[in-house]
Amino acid sequence: MSFLSIFILFFSLQTLSANEVNLFTTRHYESDLKLYNEFSEQTGIKVNVISGKSKPLEKRIIEEGRSCEGDVFFLADAGRLVSAQEKGLFKRIGSLSIKKKVPKQFRSSHWVGITKRARIIFFNPEFTKYEDIKDLSYDDLSNPQYRNSIAIRQSNNVYNQSLVSSIIENKGLNFTKNWLNGLVKNFSRQPTGNDRAQILSVAAGESKFAIANTYYYALMASGQKGEGQKKASEKVKPLFPNQNNRGTHMNISGVGILTHSPNTENAIKFIEFLLTSKAQKHIVNNTYEYPIIDAVQPSELIQKLGSNFKQDNTTNVLSYGKWQKKAFELMRQAKWN
Amino acid sequence: MELKKLKSSYNFLNTSKTLYAIVLSISIFTIIPLCSIIINSMTTDYTYAISEFKWFFEFLKNSLIILFWVIILTFIFGVLSAYLVTFFDFPGANFFGYALILSFAIPPYIFGYSLSAFLENFGLGYSLLSNFFGLHDANIFLPDLSPLTYCILSLSFTLYGYLFLLSKTSFLNQSANLLDLSKSLGFSSLKQLFYVVIPCARPAIFVGISLVAMETLADFGTVSYFGVSTFTTEIYNTWFVFDDLKKSNLLSLILLIFILFFFVIENISRKNSKFHQLKNDSSNYKKKLTGASAFAAFLFCFILFFISFIFPFSQMIFWSYKFPEYFESLNLLKLNLNTFILIFFTSLLIIFFSFTANFGNRVLKSKLLGFLSTLSISGYAIPGIIISVSIISFFSIISNYFNINLKSVFIGTFLGLIIGYFFRFYSISFNSIKSNYLKINYSIDESAYLIGFNKFTMFSKVHWPILKKNVFFIFVLIAIEILKELPITLILRPFNFDTFSSKAYQFASQDLIEAASIPSMFLIFWSSILILISYKYFFEIKK
Repeated sequence: MSFLSIFILFFSLQTLSANEVNLFTTRHYESDLKLYNEFSEQTGIKVNVISGKSKPLEKRIIEEGRSCEGDVFFLADAGRLVSAQEKGLFKRIGSLSIKKKVPKQFRSSHWVGITKRARIIFFNPEFTKYEDIKDLSYDDLSNPQYRNSIAIRQSNNVYNQSLVSSIIENKGLNFTKNWLNGLVKNFSRQPTGNDRAQILSVAAGESKFAIANTYYYALMASGQKGEGQKKASEKVKPLFPNQNNRGTHMNISGVGILTHSPNTENAIKFIEFLLTSKAQKHIVNNTYEYPIIDAVQPSELIQKLGSNFKQDNTTNVLSYGKWQKKAFELMRQAKWN
Repeated sequence: MELKKLKSSYNFLNTSKTLYAIVLSISIFTIIPLCSIIINSMTTDYTYAISEFKWFFEFLKNSLIILFWVIILTFIFGVLSAYLVTFFDFPGANFFGYALILSFAIPPYIFGYSLSAFLENFGLGYSLLSNFFGLHDANIFLPDLSPLTYCILSLSFTLYGYLFLLSKTSFLNQSANLLDLSKSLGFSSLKQLFYVVIPCARPAIFVGISLVAMETLADFGTVSYFGVSTFTTEIYNTWFVFDDLKKSNLLSLILLIFILFFFVIENISRKNSKFHQLKNDSSNYKKKLTGASAFAAFLFCFILFFISFIFPFSQMIFWSYKFPEYFESLNLLKLNLNTFILIFFTSLLIIFFSFTANFGNRVLKSKLLGFLSTLSISGYAIPGIIISVSIISFFSIISNYFNINLKSVFIGTFLGLIIGYFFRFYSISFNSIKSNYLKINYSIDESAYLIGFNKFTMFSKVHWPILKKNVFFIFVLIAIEILKELPITLILRPFNFDTFSSKAYQFASQDLIEAASIPSMFLIFWSSILILISYKYFFEIKK
């Protein structure tokens, strides 16, 4: 028995530290950890991290209740932030300096966006002329003229669900239903693989369009996926949809402070740090996302895609959370696997 | 004298009661996840569940297609290779006899990662073809497999080891006389395989197929990676997208019933195997193959070994070599230490409790205990993610009800993680000890009592010496499972705590299979070492 208590003591001692901030995150970037180290060096506040999938972490936080040691919850997708807020996981963020930095449509009273992601179209100029498609919108993707053209990942992917949610929000349920039926008929192959696999399908000439987040392209172009994929990235070009109406679909990853956070002050300092130019630069240069603050430019690879495009700044990202379940239901009804 | 006798029978009763209480507690503890699933399923909204029923058949269909092909392929790979290495002498036969077990070291999802990274457009296969053969558009030379095919291949090449292992053990025990007889009747090798060898090994093969089926039905990593909707992905979708954990529990319960069906087959087959096991009266019964047949046998085993082990492992080594910068981001010492400490404490806990439960079941002969122990094996059939949730809910309910804070002791702590593994892997140890216990005749226990042994001296002096050689083997099995385990680790771990599999998952989620290859390589390396140092036990389990 004494052996057991020594053992328990040994492992519980590891987590005891006065000046700290405890972070639950669904982002799995190694570069994020480096950024947190920088925060620790700057402030003396240690950042403890657990990364995992959103719903299990959510469940853990709810069940742990008051004994939950977590301070900040970092989630990749607006819908998930909304879900966490609805379940009462977050406390109100009072800090004005935080609110001031983040545009209104990318925050709520309980969470703020830290990075932005654009879900765009990639095409292969060898087979498709830019002039023919330059005015393409998401709505057009269901047109019969694009039969067997589109590569996109599965319906259970949260980025797809948020894209469809934004269409429900702007065009209504009936339109989206028909749009989905047309879109699925236009698939060039059964959805499989991640966003990068879709871009590769376009590079190989198997599909006309790939719908993907821009950072997957940057990952290929950076050479981190080998020479073959770097060359493949040169075969495709980006197309920012919806330039003639509400703009390209943007999603965010963002943070909220947990209701029972034991280190709220540190949590606020941590979020303020994530919104500094220095931290934003670090993030965009490593993960190839878009910065949430205007003062910082995206990474060079992303700028090459074109940074001067119209982003959807009218659709509030809160609506992604509102429609996600319905979106998934409709996607499945349209036989999007 | 009378008093002494009375005292001793009092002691006997007392120890029986204590033992009963202990074993009862262990058995009840091990079925917490099962109870949690049942309770949660009962409170789900059935009308909603029924309205979603049409999807049920959609994903059931995919699960069954995968199951069907995986069983066919693992049967061909496992039984045929076991037959070749046991009954024939050809170049490399002895080597393959052990090497083919190494496929156990590769988790199906890691095999899936490397298969798709090799075959994808502009992937590793593309680079090889264009660099070595100067092909301009190498993509068209690579097969364009459907997601379903990817899943079937990944699962078959990593799970056939069960059939190989169990058939080989069974073949080794087959009577040489029987084989001689079939030969003198003029049976060809092929006829002998189908009319003598396989029928005699039927129970072992059924056990193997049931294990393959259980693993296939419970797999999540592979099917979700390739985007095939199956029972397990539906359990996830129901929770992750529809936010309906209760319905997710109901689906887990249905999956559990499916898996238990195979579990029953496995148990019945194990019992039957007692009557099919014939004494091995010749250890050197091997036919020498020459020429084309020797080459064909070699080629079959070599290709199997190559695809199932060399292919994924060498890819991991290649990437680690090509992208050495990813080594920097790993604290290898800490990762190794974490893994070893987890393995040590978990196996200690599991082995100790499963010995106690088995011993109690044997000497107390209680029907209730027997029933509860049978249920306790369900942990292996419940998806890891559901187990973690039931642990979190359980400690939360107990803490709230008794107003004590068990949550900070068990949720997000090392101890909680060990308990998660305990629920998941208890059955491996319990079953293994149980099957060995069955080999000890009850008359030995009675004789021990007659010469004045009490329960505990009987255990230490009679049972333990017979059972102890099995402990190392159980340890190895648990260790390999812990090395590969992912969902429980992700949810229940403490802050700043990683294992090889959680690190591999983290990089793979970032779409950096190249970086994931380093932790995966370590994972495969340690599993292989464990398999190699214990390989002789693998073939002794049924003897």
